[in-house]
Amino acid sequence: MIERHQPLPEGAASEINEPRTGQAPDLHGRPLPMRQYSVSETVDAVVVGTGAGGAPLLARLAAAGLRVVALEAGKHWSPARDFVTDEVAQSKLFWNDERLSAGGDPLAFGRNNSGTGVGGSTLHYTAYTPRVQPDDLRLHTEFGVGVNWPLSYEDLEPYYDELERFLGVSGPTPYPWGPARNSAYPLAPLPLNGAAQLMQRGCNTLGIRTSPAANAALSGLYYQEGVGWRAACSNRGFCQAGCTTGAKASMDVTYVPLAVHYGAEVRAESFVTRFERDSSGCITEVIYMREGREERQRCHRVFLCAGAIETPRLLLLNDLANSSGQVGKNFMAHTGIQVWGRFEEDVRPYKGIPGALISEDTHRPPDADFAGGYLLQSIGVMPVTYAAQVARGRGLWGTELREHMRGYNHTAGINILGDCLPYEHSYLELSDEPDARGLPKPRIHFTNGENEQRLNAHAEKLMREIWATAGAHDIWAFPRNAHIIGTCRMGTNSDTAVVNNEGRTFDVPNLYISDNSTFPSALSCNPALTIMALSLRTADCFLERARRMEN
Amino acid sequence: MKTYPPGTVRALLDSDMVTPQTREALRARLSADESYDEPSFLDVDLFLTLRAACARLIPQPESAKPIDCASAIDKRLANGEGDGWRYDALPADGETFRRGLRGLDEAARAKFSFSFHQLDDARQDELLLAVQRGDVKGGVWETLSANLFFEELLAAATEIYYSHPLAQELIGYAGMADAHGWQAIGLDQLEAWEPRASEDTSD
Ligand SMILES: Cc1cc2nc3c(=O)[nH]c(=O)nc-3n(C[C@H](O)[C@H](O)[C@H](O)COP(=O)(O)OP(=O)(O)OC[C@H]3O[C@@H](n4cnc5c(N)ncnc54)[C@H](O)[C@@H]3O)c2cc1C
Ligand code: SF4
Repeated sequence: MIERHQPLPEGAASEINEPRTGQAPDLHGRPLPMRQYSVSETVDAVVVGTGAGGAPLLARLAAAGLRVVALEAGKHWSPARDFVTDEVAQSKLFWNDERLSAGGDPLAFGRNNSGTGVGGSTLHYTAYTPRVQPDDLRLHTEFGVGVNWPLSYEDLEPYYDELERFLGVSGPTPYPWGPARNSAYPLAPLPLNGAAQLMQRGCNTLGIRTSPAANAALSGLYYQEGVGWRAACSNRGFCQAGCTTGAKASMDVTYVPLAVHYGAEVRAESFVTRFERDSSGCITEVIYMREGREERQRCHRVFLCAGAIETPRLLLLNDLANSSGQVGKNFMAHTGIQVWGRFEEDVRPYKGIPGALISEDTHRPPDADFAGGYLLQSIGVMPVTYAAQVARGRGLWGTELREHMRGYNHTAGINILGDCLPYEHSYLELSDEPDARGLPKPRIHFTNGENEQRLNAHAEKLMREIWATAGAHDIWAFPRNAHIIGTCRMGTNSDTAVVNNEGRTFDVPNLYISDNSTFPSALSCNPALTIMALSLRTADCFLERARRMEN
Repeated sequence: MKTYPPGTVRALLDSDMVTPQTREALRARLSADESYDEPSFLDVDLFLTLRAACARLIPQPESAKPIDCASAIDKRLANGEGDGWRYDALPADGETFRRGLRGLDEAARAKFSFSFHQLDDARQDELLLAVQRGDVKGGVWETLSANLFFEELLAAATEIYYSHPLAQELIGYAGMADAHGWQAIGLDQLEAWEPRASEDTSD
């Protein structure tokens, strides 16, 4: 059993007092003193990407006294200073380099699933943080399809406990589904907004259990190590375009400042393109573009955390870690169909934490004709996002579109978050079309299989029923898939997987991967909390091994 | 049909309900006069087609000075601004718009012997619907998916329109007024500064 709270190695505490020549901006734009490493010194680790997969391990490695540098393509924002309550102005948070969407169900990227900046996609996630249920990790055993995970719920549980405490997750205790919790959620749930109350009404009548959801947004003032006091959520409802109050536990206000506190350097606007290797195949240098110039950082090891599109893209570009041929394969995206309804009541879908209510009664529906399951979630929505969905999904235009949008304030949604199986026909490849940097654009093929179609159909029927029961009219469904998953599968065998269950690549001894790309199956819950749990676990496994080798 | 009182968004922008940063961004959008007759990406003929198409996709009969989606689209194409993805089945954005608009105009000439922008509303709508349904054949449409082009055109116009503060005002959106957060978030609960709808009896 690996210690969860690694004691600092000798010397680490004094290293915290090393001169801090750099600065990282905090929430309000005040400079935090930050250590800086020179590109000519060989640092212990380079972490590429500072999202859900990168930031937690960055903090863990720094806390253990390692000299670590994070290279992040995006900017380092100060939300209270730089963020605006406007969807268009906030498009700066999205990964807007063009990706090519192919297959039977071509996916939207950018706003739909991909962020950039220090904090990665957590800058615009809705902070919905359910835990996985144990059986999702054993899909193949249970249903004979998909794959099992090479680890169990017991491996993740201590990290879930730790994360919820550190981030300040607001949630209900007891939580109605899944294994009993070791401890209560640290904060009470956030208040229900209009959409949540309507979903509750419909579900109550139909006998579906609901509960306030667990959200990594603070329902009260919260003290956080390395960061200080964080303010409570003010119900802005704008989480998907960035939180200005710091109430939402995005990485830029949690693990990143903690990492900086422990002596990590976060180098923003540094776009990694290549890796230098020695004769044994180990990475010796990470090469990146910064302010239009190429720079190199010498390092002992690399943690690649660039997300499930950019991680495999970098590996394919560098012909790295792919002896299995699995890099880019098994691309998945959660089934995420949304059902919208129009109500007599004023809903005002711009207020309150967007995902306030949950039901996991559909985790294994008794009448299912598919493998796996899904959860139900009430949703708020911002106007431009909703209008674009009405245009693309319903094809409304002209007077019809404008009339429909006049009912925006009376609109409420429910969506699902369901499993998605890996398929041979869903994968990422490099195209021969160069982007602005001269690198090939990634092409992503994605097609829902029969299992996803059946699951979506089951969910659509149920959600229509819930809305009809709650009093909605003009009910309509927007088919959609959420999140980018797979492409660097974790497994037990170097022939069929890219990394082992510690996140270490089978091919390159000093290369680790920690992001949504390592998931062997999609899971029927939102991914961020599990990505963070795996991130901490990867760091602990690595530190444990390093310590053993020293002794 | 619900209507919201005019002037609410400008009033909110003048109040301390909006953060200074948000105020600055929205005021800039309100005062920017983005309309132009000299397009920078499309040629003048294609631009006329785009303008006529946008006027049907987002008709604004109530407004003396409609929000100009066509100029904003042209500007976006000129700057090469993307949103992170495109259908692999379509060529690059600029090429898609050039070809698609040309196809729309060719369809107008073939069917009605006039340029698209010279047609009346009903005929323009008929052609737009045919493109949306993929019911156009030959010429440009041999190499361009009509319904995907239509989806891109409609999504672009819609996003530009509904990101304008005055369009948001018409639907009673007040999300920008969050400087003090929201307490009244439940069903039928409104803060004092949120606009109230009245029933429009004119229809
Ligand atoms: C609108 C929206 C809502 C969401 N809501 C939820 C939710 O409620 N709950 C939930 O669990 N999940 C949610 N998610 C998903 C969640 O945000 C992601 O699954 C998670 O952040 C992914 O973590 P990651 O580490 O894989 O990648 P990311 O968080 O995307 O981080 C990758 C980072 O790597 C950087 N990078 C990429 N390439 C390079 C390079 N070459 N050089 C340097 N840096 C690079 C990127 O800039 C980025 O910062 C949501 C996502 C979206 C889009
Ligand atoms: S709802 Fe809360 S967590 Fe979300 S953006 Fe607003 S203040 Fe932040």
